[in-house]
Amino acid sequence: MTRAIVVGFRPTNSGSDALALGVRLARSAGAHLHVVTVLPREGALSAAVPPERSYETHIQKQARTWLRDAAGRIPAGVSHSGHVRLGESFAEGLVEAAEEFGAGLIVVGAANGGLFGYHRIGSVASELLHSSPVPVALAPAGLARGIDADTDVSRVTAAIGTRPGADVLLDAAVRLAAMTDSGLRLISLVPFDVPAGLGTGAMRLVDDALGEDVLARASSALPEGVDAELEHAPGATVEEAVARLAWKPGEMLVVGSSRLAQPRRLFLGSTAAKMLHVLPVPMIVVPRTSHDPLSDASETTRDTTTDTETAKGADA
Amino acid sequence: MTATDEQTAAQADAPSDSVTGGISRKGLSVGTVGLLGAIVMGISCIAPAYTFTAGVGPTASAVGTQVPAVLLVGFIPMLLVAFGYRELNREMPDSGTSFTWATRAFGPWIGWMAGWGLIAATILVLSNLAGIAVDFLFLLISQISQNPSVADLASNPFINVGVCLLFMLGATWISYRDMQTSQKLQYVLVGFQLVVLLVFAVVAIVRGASGDAFDPTRFDIQWFDPFAISSVGALVTGLSLSIFMFWGWDVTLTMNEETKDPERTPGRAATTTVITIISVYLLLTIGMIMFAGVGTGALGLGNEGIQENVFFALSGPIMGPLAFLVSLAVLTSSASSLQSTFVSPARTLLAMGHYGALPPKFASVSPRFFTPGYATVVAAVVASAFYAIMRLVSDTVLWDTIAALGIMICFYYGITAFACVWYFRKQWFDSARNVFFTFLFPLIGGIILFGIFVLSLVESWTPGATGSGSQIGGVGLVFILGVSVILLGVVVMIVQYFRSPGFFRGETLTMAAPESLRRR
Repeated sequence: MTRAIVVGFRPTNSGSDALALGVRLARSAGAHLHVVTVLPREGALSAAVPPERSYETHIQKQARTWLRDAAGRIPAGVSHSGHVRLGESFAEGLVEAAEEFGAGLIVVGAANGGLFGYHRIGSVASELLHSSPVPVALAPAGLARGIDADTDVSRVTAAIGTRPGADVLLDAAVRLAAMTDSGLRLISLVPFDVPAGLGTGAMRLVDDALGEDVLARASSALPEGVDAELEHAPGATVEEAVARLAWKPGEMLVVGSSRLAQPRRLFLGSTAAKMLHVLPVPMIVVPRTSHDPLSDASETTRDTTTDTETAKGADA
Repeated sequence: MTATDEQTAAQADAPSDSVTGGISRKGLSVGTVGLLGAIVMGISCIAPAYTFTAGVGPTASAVGTQVPAVLLVGFIPMLLVAFGYRELNREMPDSGTSFTWATRAFGPWIGWMAGWGLIAATILVLSNLAGIAVDFLFLLISQISQNPSVADLASNPFINVGVCLLFMLGATWISYRDMQTSQKLQYVLVGFQLVVLLVFAVVAIVRGASGDAFDPTRFDIQWFDPFAISSVGALVTGLSLSIFMFWGWDVTLTMNEETKDPERTPGRAATTTVITIISVYLLLTIGMIMFAGVGTGALGLGNEGIQENVFFALSGPIMGPLAFLVSLAVLTSSASSLQSTFVSPARTLLAMGHYGALPPKFASVSPRFFTPGYATVVAAVVASAFYAIMRLVSDTVLWDTIAALGIMICFYYGITAFACVWYFRKQWFDSARNVFFTFLFPLIGGIILFGIFVLSLVESWTPGATGSGSQIGGVGLVFILGVSVILLGVVVMIVQYFRSPGFFRGETLTMAAPESLRRR
């Protein structure tokens, strides 16, 4: 079975960024790229608008043209296909598509109007980050137009904390690094897990002690034969700590989902949300209990694969 | 654009294509609209609270106490034409509706004008909806704050136009972004509207009957007699207005494959919707006449000062402290109708752009929201400009646009009805059903509507015979409005012919007539 990535595509800058990130990941990991656009069922999401199949047909044709144009921008050697899907929302359609194709990752872009090079969570990403059962990759604004757009994945950085789910996150990062044949770096964001109100001095103590401890524990948990750079990210705030880190072109950051998330569902924690503001590289958010990004289809998706075949038959 | 592009689309989706189509495993062939959903959609598109307040005054001024009669008679051509609509929609589902169908039946020139008629009518109604919404916003504020002077602000043309443009901007924003609104909200709005109208009607009837009214008028079964209308001119004017009052109802019939049960849902929904609407209208009319009479007194329905907006004048006297509920009902009705009405001209403009009847820019679909973005903005700008200019020229603009609107609806509905008759000419006698639904019903409906169109144009020549009595150079403003809108269409059409003649040579949309299915 092939590894599969779903890219949420619209013919906007944000869609191009998502496509560029999807291409980078698919090329590095040898995965199949499913470029998906999701249209409103019966032509409109608003219940005030009379449903109209013929309008839906019209936008479907238009969407196919967009997808063909997008396919033309995918470099040779990346296996890909395009799909028009219908859904109650763009995010819901992407999750359904990911289940349909047994994809291990959904890629979306930043909201329109995001600062070049940085993230801004749009409504689609926001909905995905609250509902997706598979990891979600966020492309920063301008990725497709940036100078390193064609870079392969160079290094995978995992932001490790002490909270439950750290093992899943570590595992996901290790596998992603292995698949993309790239380096692994572990960073500690421990200080930002300590209760608020602790003095700076105490913070530093906790930071140094706990941070080293966490990194040490994480690196000892690494599988046989996997090496990782360990790096401390000091700073008074999450933003500062992240801003001080050095990032390679083609680097990916992997973070875990919040404790508040339901099992097998994403939820962006406040630390991760703060990181996004200053993060210049793509970020992958991994559910607390999950299969890994780009992994083979897990049990939830496996039972739908037969349906996929029939659906494809119907499409043709 | 299923009608003509189906084959090319099918070829484009051949297995060699890497783009797969449409539908995930949940399956598409099942529609999403149930019976209740279809009824709510129908009532919401008619927007009875808005339509009634805008339409009943001018109707009463034309036919006096015979409003119930004219409402019932006006429904007949509407029904007959709707049957034709349904047949065309089944055969050629297309976002361009009247434009596409008339082009297929009669060729590009008539088709173009049918599309123009539809767009002009919907743009007129957009400006009118926003105008009514402004009036009721101020009325509502004044009722809640118990400060009558606030309601008068609506008659200041600058405040009025300013607020109206804000409404228009809001509605455009919502339409352009296809903001997700829930069906539940839609149900609540429609339910609220109906309950308020019923309470209003009952209170008016009770007070009229008990004599505790402005001009207690005894109910008379004569009100239902269309032959008691004073003149043919009055009848025609009344009819074109009553057609405006049912406008939007056909959406229940044209929702076919979108419904869960295409065999039964559309018919049942249409019947239930129309019975509901007619009952509400009749009760309201009877109530208003019994309470206020049709005289020209302060609150009489014949008073020119209140005609363009009767709820505005009558809700306080009839409902007392609960009058704000009426304002709220009309406000929500026009605001939500503003949103659903935007779709209609935008999608027709999109289809016209798609087939080359207008510049291709009109066919562009918003890449983020999948709405006809450019067409939506153009429709909004034209409607806003029209309202602003008209409001500054004449303060009876609402009334005159309603009268002109009735004329435009008759124009494009009439063409559509004839398009149905002509398009199916080889199938008329395939079955007894076809004789009625593709031939007799739309033919009679089309003749009536076209007759009303011509006669009400003639009638509107004389200032005061139709509309508010506004005039320019001795010619009624309604006539000038109606004729200049149509002539403007002709001009734009000719310009487009010289800029891009492909459509007019039948290169994008061909004339056709489906062959008889009977075995020979």
